[in-house]
Parts: sequence; C-alpha cells; structure tokens
Amino acid sequence: MSSFLKLTNFEIGRFFKLYVVLIGITILSQLIGLVVVSNGYMDEANNAIFQENLTAQEYVNTYGEMSLLNLTRTLWFFAPIALGVIALLFNIFFVWYRDWFGKNTFIYRLLMLPTARINVYLSKATSIVLMVLGLVAIQVALLPIQGILLKWMVAKDFRLDLTPAEVVLGLRELMIILPNGFIDFLLAYGTGIMAIFIVFTAILFERSFRLKGILFGGIYIALSVGIFLSPVIVQSILNVSYLYPAELLILEIILGVCVSIASIWVANYLLTKSITV
Amino acid sequence: MIEVKDIKKKFGRRQVLKGVSFTANEGEITCLIGINGVGKTTILNAIMALTPVNSGEILLDGKKVTKESFEKITFIPDAITMIPQMTIAESMEFMDDYYNAWNQKRADELLKFFKLKKEEKISSLSKGNTAKVNLLLGLALDVDYVLMDEPFSGIDIFSREQIADVFTSHLIEGRGVIITTHEISDIEHLIDKVVLLDEGVVLKEFNSEEVRESEGKSVVDVMREVYKA
Repeated sequence: MSSFLKLTNFEIGRFFKLYVVLIGITILSQLIGLVVVSNGYMDEANNAIFQENLTAQEYVNTYGEMSLLNLTRTLWFFAPIALGVIALLFNIFFVWYRDWFGKNTFIYRLLMLPTARINVYLSKATSIVLMVLGLVAIQVALLPIQGILLKWMVAKDFRLDLTPAEVVLGLRELMIILPNGFIDFLLAYGTGIMAIFIVFTAILFERSFRLKGILFGGIYIALSVGIFLSPVIVQSILNVSYLYPAELLILEIILGVCVSIASIWVANYLLTKSITV
Repeated sequence: MIEVKDIKKKFGRRQVLKGVSFTANEGEITCLIGINGVGKTTILNAIMALTPVNSGEILLDGKKVTKESFEKITFIPDAITMIPQMTIAESMEFMDDYYNAWNQKRADELLKFFKLKKEEKISSLSKGNTAKVNLLLGLALDVDYVLMDEPFSGIDIFSREQIADVFTSHLIEGRGVIITTHEISDIEHLIDKVVLLDEGVVLKEFNSEEVRESEGKSVVDVMREVYKA
C-alpha cells in the first residue's frame, strides 16, 4: 500500500472514535426527532378532530399534512448536522495543530517518514473529505429509513410521502449538504475541497513563519478567494454580465482547480523548504 | 559522513547559529556540547530538514537530505514522537509500515534489553521508559546515522545507566552517532569526537581519545579550559 493511502487510513483512524460518536448522535437525534414530531402531529390532529369535530381530510386541509419536511425544519434534524459541520471544520485546524502541540510531538515522526512530505498534507485533506462524504452518505441513507418509519407512525390520511430528492428540494439549507445533481455537487464539494487546501496551506505558512506566517496565511487566503471569485467580482463591479451562466460555471471550475493546484504546490514548497518543528 | 558547513540560523532577531561547521563520521560518536539555548537542537533539526537554515549546507554522504535519506538517518528527539494513545506494539507496527529500514528482530531485542512490555500505552509510561521507547523506535531502524537529542535528560539514574549501556552494545556499533547531552559523565569514555559550542559558533572540535593520550585530559577538563577561557 502506498504511503499516501496508509497515512490517510491512519488519519481517519485517529478521528474515528469521535466520528462514530458524531454518526451516533446524528442517527439518534434524527430518529428521536421523527418520533417526537410524528407523535406531536398526531396528538394535535387527534385533539383537533375531537374538539373541533373535524374529519381527517378537513384537518389536513386546515393544518397541512405530515411529511419528512416537518422533521427537517426542526433542531432534532439540523442540530446534529450542524454539530458534524462544526466538528469537521474544527478538525481542519486540529488535524495539524495536535501534531505540533500535543503531549508528544508527532509532527517529528510525520516529517521524518521516508515519503514525500506532501503525502502528509494530502492524506490529512483526504481524510477530512472522506469523513464529510461519509456523514453525507449516512444522511442520504437515513432519509428513506425515516420515510418508512413515518409510514409506520402516521396514518396515510394525514401523511404526505416524499422521496429523499423531494425532501432535499423542499429545504434550501439541505441542498448544500445534499446537492441536487452533479453540477451542484461539483460546485458545493469542489469549493469545499479547494477551501480545505487553501486553509491547510495558510496553516503551513503559520507553522513555517510563526507570527509573520499568520499575516502571510491571511494574505494567501484573501488572494486565493479573490482569484477564485474574480469573474463574479469583476461582473458585479462593472455591473454587467459578460458571461453566460454556463461560461461562468466553467471559468469557476477552472479557477478552482488552479487555486487548488497552486495551494498544493505552495504547501509542498513550505513542507520541504520552510517548515519548522 | 554528515557534513555541516557554515550553517547560520536566525530566530526573529536572535542569531542562534553564526556559522557552525563540523563533520560526523560513520562508526563514531560525536557529542555536541554547550549550554541551553546554544543551538544544539537546532543543529539536529536542521540536519533532519525540520528547521530551514538561513545559509550554509548540510550533506549526508555527500548529498542533500531528501525523503530517501530517512532510510539512512534517524533522529531521536528529547520527546517521544509517537501518539500517547498508541501502545508500544502499535508504535512498532507504525514504524514497520513506513520504513524499509525497520528491523523487527532488533526491535524485539531492544524491547527485552529495556525490559519494556509491548502492550503498554505510551501515555502510561514513566519518563525513563518513554525515553527508552523513543530510543527503541530510533535504534531498531537499520540506518547508518543516529541523532540523539538529550537522551539522558530528566530521567532516573537506573534508566540513564541502561541507556548508556546501549552505547557499548552492538546496537550502536558501526553507526555514526551525533548526541547532545548535559550528562557528559555518563558517556564521556564512549565519545569519539567532541564539538564545543557557544554563542552560535564552534569553540573547539577535538578527538577525545587523542586529547586523552597526548595531553592526558578528559573531555570535562577540555570543557573547563575552553569555557573558562
């Protein structure tokens, strides 16, 4: 197995316990949320039908049907997702600084491995991307399961059955996590991966030049974001739309790839020429 | 041979190394001596490309240090370089996974030599045993050169004696060793070459055996002379 794959596996292993906890919290919270929201809906429906003497159809016409969208708009659903996002964002920094500031300076070992140092950088980035995709996959798998559970808990007369795609379309925030189509996926996750590379390289600036490095890192982030968004910025400054949406998309993809490659190249330079333990 | 040629290093405004040069040969133990902050660790870090120097050159067998060099040279810093949650066995597996130079037979031998238990977690080890594991992970590599940063620092006398015994064993034999230490008395009789450092420069570089034979002085005698002067 190549050093890169071994390192990626090792990095995932280091975060795995916390990752399993995150997955557990997501599953538990969303399933408990489904039970709470479904029961709440049915209690309200029964009360209304009993007190106001309504039929099921009349209740649905007045108060609306119960669907998975009722769940996705609650904290039960979104809090674990937000927790996962925060944990993984925190991990972007933690994945580097724990090796420098941990009780034992593991960075010595990582930088003394007989492999290209850029493999350390790429494996840390890959482990984060894989963990994000893993959490998304869990969420994708959970939606149909939640749909089945909803059928068990809410009578057909009160229920609106939605496919996972319809659930995602029904909630704007969810579309960032579960993009609806390949282009959206490319935009959301491509931008995410590029952002990881940019932040990683900024961290290496700080680790190479310490205080001055914070400034260099900040400038690097600003420059990278500026280059990536330059077509949008130019168009908005000039207040004209020279480019068709498809052209703009292609240009953004090209710029995103360029910024990512530049980040990896700069990181490789810093890791081999400037890094200080 | 490790050649350190006129290396200079600044940390902020502070010039830590002002042009340090020396060589360390295979099969010899070279000791870097100097007070705290004189730049001993910086020199070892620079040799391993863990700290860039501002100028000068470091060569390992005539070539610059690259990733391939880490199969020929190893560095044992004063803190262990493994994750505290790992057991000794897992640390050994980690080394075996990445280094072609890993010698499992020698690792097992060192484990016995230091009386360590494989299943123990690094975080649960005493300071002395942590230093021994650190030494084990470095010395079990079939490398030509070993750099050691203060291997005797802050550990009890029994562990110190055990570590000093390594220097007279076949575990070190034939390798080029660069060691920094304050506890010179523990290994004075084993050192081949001494490099005395002060304020970022080499004050004196000498062969301890020659000085002993020709001038009848110990390493400590020469140190006293040089530093008092």
